Amino acid sequence: MNKKRIPSLALASLLLLPSLTALSGCGGKNAEIILRVYSWEEYIDNGGEGSYLYDTMLEEGLEPSEEDAPRILDDFEKWYEETYGTSIRVEYATFGTNEDMYNEIVLGNEYDLLCPSDYMIMKLAAENRIEPYDESFFDETDPNNYYVRNVSPYIRGVFENGTVNVTREEETETHKWSEYAAGYMWGTTGFVYNPEHVERDDLEELGWGVFTSDKFTNKITAKDNVRDTYFAALGLTYQDELLALDKAESGYNKTLTDIFNRTAEEYTDEVGETLLAMKENIYGFETDTGKQDMVSGKIWLNYAWSGDAVYALDEAEEKNDVYLEYFVPESGSNLWFDGWVLTKGVEERGTKQAAQAFVNFMSMPESAKRNSYFIGYTSVIAGEENEMLDYTDYLYGVEDEEEETDENFYDLSWFFNEEEAPVGIFADEEQRTRRQLYTQFSPADVMQRCAVMNYFDADTSERINELWSHVKSESLDAWAIVVICVSAAAIVLFVLYMKFGNKIDFFRRNPKKGYTLVRQAPIK
Amino acid sequence: MKLRFSRKTLCIPYAVFLVFFVIVPMLVILVYAFTDRNMGFSFGNFVKFFSDPTKLSTIVYSIVIALITTAVCLLIAYPVAYILARSKMKQKHVVLMLFVVPMWINFVLRVNAIREIFNWIGLLGEANYFNTVFGMVYDFLPFMILPLYTTLMKIDGSLYEAAADLGGSAFNGFMRVTLPLSLPGVMSGVTMVFLPSMTNYVVSDMLGNSMVTIVGKFIYEYFGSDWHMGSMVALILLIVVFISTWLTGGFQSEENVRGANL
Repeated sequence: MNKKRIPSLALASLLLLPSLTALSGCGGKNAEIILRVYSWEEYIDNGGEGSYLYDTMLEEGLEPSEEDAPRILDDFEKWYEETYGTSIRVEYATFGTNEDMYNEIVLGNEYDLLCPSDYMIMKLAAENRIEPYDESFFDETDPNNYYVRNVSPYIRGVFENGTVNVTREEETETHKWSEYAAGYMWGTTGFVYNPEHVERDDLEELGWGVFTSDKFTNKITAKDNVRDTYFAALGLTYQDELLALDKAESGYNKTLTDIFNRTAEEYTDEVGETLLAMKENIYGFETDTGKQDMVSGKIWLNYAWSGDAVYALDEAEEKNDVYLEYFVPESGSNLWFDGWVLTKGVEERGTKQAAQAFVNFMSMPESAKRNSYFIGYTSVIAGEENEMLDYTDYLYGVEDEEEETDENFYDLSWFFNEEEAPVGIFADEEQRTRRQLYTQFSPADVMQRCAVMNYFDADTSERINELWSHVKSESLDAWAIVVICVSAAAIVLFVLYMKFGNKIDFFRRNPKKGYTLVRQAPIK
Repeated sequence: MKLRFSRKTLCIPYAVFLVFFVIVPMLVILVYAFTDRNMGFSFGNFVKFFSDPTKLSTIVYSIVIALITTAVCLLIAYPVAYILARSKMKQKHVVLMLFVVPMWINFVLRVNAIREIFNWIGLLGEANYFNTVFGMVYDFLPFMILPLYTTLMKIDGSLYEAAADLGGSAFNGFMRVTLPLSLPGVMSGVTMVFLPSMTNYVVSDMLGNSMVTIVGKFIYEYFGSDWHMGSMVALILLIVVFISTWLTGGFQSEENVRGANL
């Protein structure tokens, strides 16, 4: 007995040993504060080759090594310790969809800082799951408050004007988005297209109609998520109404936003019809294969977020030598943003100050450049001295001074500074009308017709999701279902009869006359 | 009480695993399936499921896709396993390996590779259902071949000789000896292919451009918005699977069945 026991004990301890050392290895660096950040996959500067620091050094003729371009998280940890004298460690986790993130939070996973999209911020706020920022966070006199000092006046306006009803202890109050969220990246939705196959004039004429146009049958993709594709269907269904709106009127954007938020029952039937018509015509629904299919030429048009579009335009040109362009429909489009929010209990955990410092660090123009450069999305940051304008100029501006003509001026006052208009850069026609610059900062008139899509409350969400599942699935006729169910039941009964028929007297087969039933063959 | 480290102790991790990762999750699904948004008991999801043609159609479509996949897998795998098991070839495990090796490559990579091939021959986006079934057959084929091969290998060669001695033709011998004796392998292969092909929506999304919705995708989408309906669909799928396994005799604990379960 003893002998048997020893090897199994030894084996068990052998198995445990590496896991123990692995566990102790984790907490190697002792930090006073641990900040848990939960954000999108590939949504932050990760240093190394292809990062902003690395590439600018290359351009200066230096030979950078990986250490010269650290991850931005490492730099934050260093900066925090230098500025506040407390050591910090960031635990950075990522999610793939807002819904995944929401589920994690509801299940009680404790993160300090989240980076959800617009509608999810509203939902989290409405359900009282996030904490407002401190008043001191908005104090512009504090030199460390990089967010308020650097954020674009345009984004600030969007956050000030947007409201959400927060229900707390049975009482509902209206709050501004800005109380709960600090912006990170923003953009529009539109179409990445291949000018080899697609005429820009056709796009201008069709607008959202591209989804059902026979010119692009099987050559266009929609998004495999209900909100984005529902938005497109709204644009398509009410396109005439949208185009008829008077742009000069002061309530223009409000009316447009209401149309793009039509989720009441009276509208969903109509939009559902549009969605079915779209499904008939499109190549497929996609989440991340759009770029690949654009490059291979399988599709000509890809409904995309502007940030992804910039990335697709860059990559396709660099790696595949394919030239792509971007387009936003005339009738209006989606303005979206992702922002940092503080989770409930961040104060009790003693990480609120650190979380706000993290947001501030990410809002430094230098950080904004690094993140933006790495992921291709547009930062909400403008910079106190309009640093991001210089950065945009560095990326997309004309190189030759002679080309700095009035004709080539691209006005960006709406984003950077309305009062000191005109603020802008000089860029060539391509950049101004259909390439990365246009994608990252669409012209003021395009932005004027962009709408934020609100979150769906529980009932709306249920109704629209039912609609979506109806669109996504093939529906059989009622009679077909009945036939199939009946035949399935018949098969089940038949198998049951084969299995147990002999055990039930009623079914027992009587032996033929003159024979006796032998249950088991006699063994001799 | 003296703590003894016996072989029984080694079962504890398994028991703990079973409770926390099998029984508790099932109960959670059960609770969610029969509650509404406010966690009150409700049959609402059940009624809604069976009164909505979309949901029933999705289940039917998934079953049909899974049935076709299983049938094609069986048609390909049986001859392969049979030839391999009966052949006198010395290096037959190498041939077997060739069928199994793709399993060692990441599944998403393989599906992506097929996607590129389909794109190249121009099938992508043209025949979404065909592509989905093809992808599933490709992915699940080893799960059909292996149990079949193991069962066929275990059949005593003298049985074939006896069949021949008693005047059975080759065909007769196959029908009366090989086929019945290999049924446990067929059953375990069928179970292992049928179940995942009802739920593996990565294949249908990548190769069917998300135009093919199978029940796995359905459950995934519901869990983004409505856990209760999602749980109900999952529960119904569980019941469908349970019934089909029971009918095909998957729960018999005969030794040869277990042996064939890899």
